[in-house]
Amino acid sequence: MVDLIKKNAKSLQESLFSSVGSAALTIATTYLVINFFRGMLGFALTSDKDWLAVLNNMQLYMVQAYPEEDFIRVWLSVGLTFVLAGLSIGIWRSDDRVKSSQVFNSFFKGGLGVLFFTIIAPTNSSFMGNDGSVITEEVFSMETRLGILIPVAIFCVIFFSIRFININFTVNSSDMVFFYLFIPVALLWFIKLPTIQLDQNNERIIPDPVMPIADTTKIPWTVIFVSFLASYFIGMYLKNIKSIKSIMSLSWFLLPLLIFSWIFKKPQIDMSVVLGSDLPIFGAFLLWGFLVITFVNNSIFKKYYSTYLGLTFLLTLVGVFSGLPMLAKTCLLLIALFSVVVPAVSTSSQGKRSLLIVWAVALVTLTFLLRGGASDTGIVVPGSSIFGGFSLTWLLAIFGTYVSFPLGVLLALGRNSKLPIIRIVCTGIIELTRSVPYITWLFFASVTLAVFLPAGVEFNLIVRVLMVTAFFSGAYFAENIRGGLQSIPKGQYEAADAIGMSPFQKISLIIMPQALRAVIPTLVSSAITAFKDSSLVTIIGLFDFLTIGKTVIGNQSIPVNFVGHDRENLIFVAIVYWIFTFTLSRRSMKVEKKLGLGER
Amino acid sequence: MSIIQTKDVKKWFGDFQALKGISMDVAEGEVLVICGPSGSGKSTFIRCINRLEQHQEGQIIVDGIELTNDLKNIEAIRSEVGMVFQSFNLFPHLTVMQNITLAQIWVRKKNRAEAEEKAMELLERVGIPEQAQKFPGQLSGGQQQRVAIARALAMEPKIMLFDEPTSALDPEMIKEVLDVMKELAQSGMTMIVVTHEMGFAKEVADRVMLFDEGQLVEENTPEEFFNNPESDRTKLFLSQIL
Repeated sequence: MVDLIKKNAKSLQESLFSSVGSAALTIATTYLVINFFRGMLGFALTSDKDWLAVLNNMQLYMVQAYPEEDFIRVWLSVGLTFVLAGLSIGIWRSDDRVKSSQVFNSFFKGGLGVLFFTIIAPTNSSFMGNDGSVITEEVFSMETRLGILIPVAIFCVIFFSIRFININFTVNSSDMVFFYLFIPVALLWFIKLPTIQLDQNNERIIPDPVMPIADTTKIPWTVIFVSFLASYFIGMYLKNIKSIKSIMSLSWFLLPLLIFSWIFKKPQIDMSVVLGSDLPIFGAFLLWGFLVITFVNNSIFKKYYSTYLGLTFLLTLVGVFSGLPMLAKTCLLLIALFSVVVPAVSTSSQGKRSLLIVWAVALVTLTFLLRGGASDTGIVVPGSSIFGGFSLTWLLAIFGTYVSFPLGVLLALGRNSKLPIIRIVCTGIIELTRSVPYITWLFFASVTLAVFLPAGVEFNLIVRVLMVTAFFSGAYFAENIRGGLQSIPKGQYEAADAIGMSPFQKISLIIMPQALRAVIPTLVSSAITAFKDSSLVTIIGLFDFLTIGKTVIGNQSIPVNFVGHDRENLIFVAIVYWIFTFTLSRRSMKVEKKLGLGER
Repeated sequence: MSIIQTKDVKKWFGDFQALKGISMDVAEGEVLVICGPSGSGKSTFIRCINRLEQHQEGQIIVDGIELTNDLKNIEAIRSEVGMVFQSFNLFPHLTVMQNITLAQIWVRKKNRAEAEEKAMELLERVGIPEQAQKFPGQLSGGQQQRVAIARALAMEPKIMLFDEPTSALDPEMIKEVLDVMKELAQSGMTMIVVTHEMGFAKEVADRVMLFDEGQLVEENTPEEFFNNPESDRTKLFLSQIL
């Protein structure tokens, strides 16, 4: 043990105090860091801060004014996501194992962090009172300090010295996910938090009574945790089923659509429209696509294929400006594009089959989006916007990335295409979206976009924002990915050609995987930017996470007066943003490391 | 019967004419070595045979199929013709095993187990079965080139094209690659090899050709080519490299 400390001390000395300059730098930085955290803690602990302004408003933070009787929809969406995640982790269960010493070491380090903050926290801190005088008070008494210090120190010593006892076991790294989720869920049942109680005169009872967490929070989370665990085991069991991975990928693709309709809509579908118009159109275009795929290799059809293509495009052009239902117009556009792709992709019967599946899925998605996305919502909420808070931020970030990433891949490929029309269109889209500020696009979504949509089609403001966000971040993704494409040597294309791969296989199996892993850092920073930029939607009247904290709670006076407590809320919001972006960047570093295997 | 026939193949890069009318036949099972100075069009010529370069005039017929712009013909020919490159061009993001099985699974539609069995068989044939789970970047140049040969063979091609397969290798690694190629030649594979390895040409080739400035200057048996060349250009070439 002494040797270990000596060794660590020596390496510390070498890295931090190797010369006079570096020693000075070390001391100065340490001083600054300690004072920064001291100041922050002192600020947070003074008695004029009301942290219940944050704690008491969790519901507002999460879903804003979403009606309480419909919360089950939100819980089901979260639950469904966790079930799908559990299945996926089970199916893609990694064989990596984490050593027990690594786990203990992370406990030890976590404990050290707590110790650090407990030690540096100031005893006294001052704030400015209502009359402008400076009030100094004791914020962190010696008893509290020792009350935290001693148990945590014991905790640290235990996990430090455990390495000298021969405990060696390894844990599957996928299993660790459950451990990390288990701790917060278990804590829900044990911790008690201060809660605001009002007396009969609607005055706040002080001191705030400590209450256990509400059943409406802990029961759903426990159910979700249990289903997550169950689906993990089911996933492991399903692992060997053929094509289960494709099915899972498809489910992930369809999940946001489902959640989207689930949260925004109460099913109010006019069956006469669905049966009389949607279904026939859907069936007709499914048949059309099927015929094209079937006869694409037929010699007569092949001979006149360009004539067919020309006619389809002409029909599309006429159709778009005619009085056809929206669905038919969009399907026409889709079949025209699809007909361009078919001859390049389909060669074998298997290729044809998967192409048919792609076509069917595309049609289902489109029909669903147009029927579901354009119909009125049945959910009535107070206020103008349907929901907000963290759900909105999360939706914009996830759905934005989720739509814009594939769009970015397509735009990047299109910009590199040999066909001039595709190249010009893609370049045009990229340059147009990138050269206009995001805020302008948001105003476009809120004010102008409706004018461009045909009469009768009306999208929710959030849907419109998602549309412009998809294009905006899609353009950035496209440029990042194009950078990756340019780093692929010509030899890779030639090698793929030489073993007889089709252009589609070449791009999806050889070029894209290499191009994407070359640009992971920039892709992640684009995704982080998109996540943070979602707070800009406040300017068009949506209530995102930040707006709730800064504006809504900062002006809240009923039932409890929280006016002027926006600083606590801003700190909370900043911490939540930081946790998510930091996790994202750490995960991406791990992915990068894992994918970088072949580069050495 | 000839498996490759070319008639008066011409090719331009901009104003520069790289091939000035090449006509030749390759019989099934024949090993043909093409040599010549840099820029003589020899690489361009064999890249035309599997359409990595497009010829502008003349005719190339491989295994009874003429190379035209028709994508189907090109894919058919490419799956019959294996190619080995000077710079290996292995897929760096895939393991050796995946490099060899990829085309079998996606182009030949084999199942994974079958493809892996074939891949192991080929890796044993080129002498590096123990490297199957490594990534290309972890192998030496000679090993990488042998993997590239195995990758091409996995498609069970009728013809193998070698585009200066040893030029990017350290001298001591050249032999291990040439040994694999010799073994391949003895097994009856039709091969066209662009190389500067005259030892290999003498020992293995059925025929040797000399290209110069986009033209086929001499075509001869190895004995005649090295001992008794017809053209002065060949004499000059041989005097410079031997």
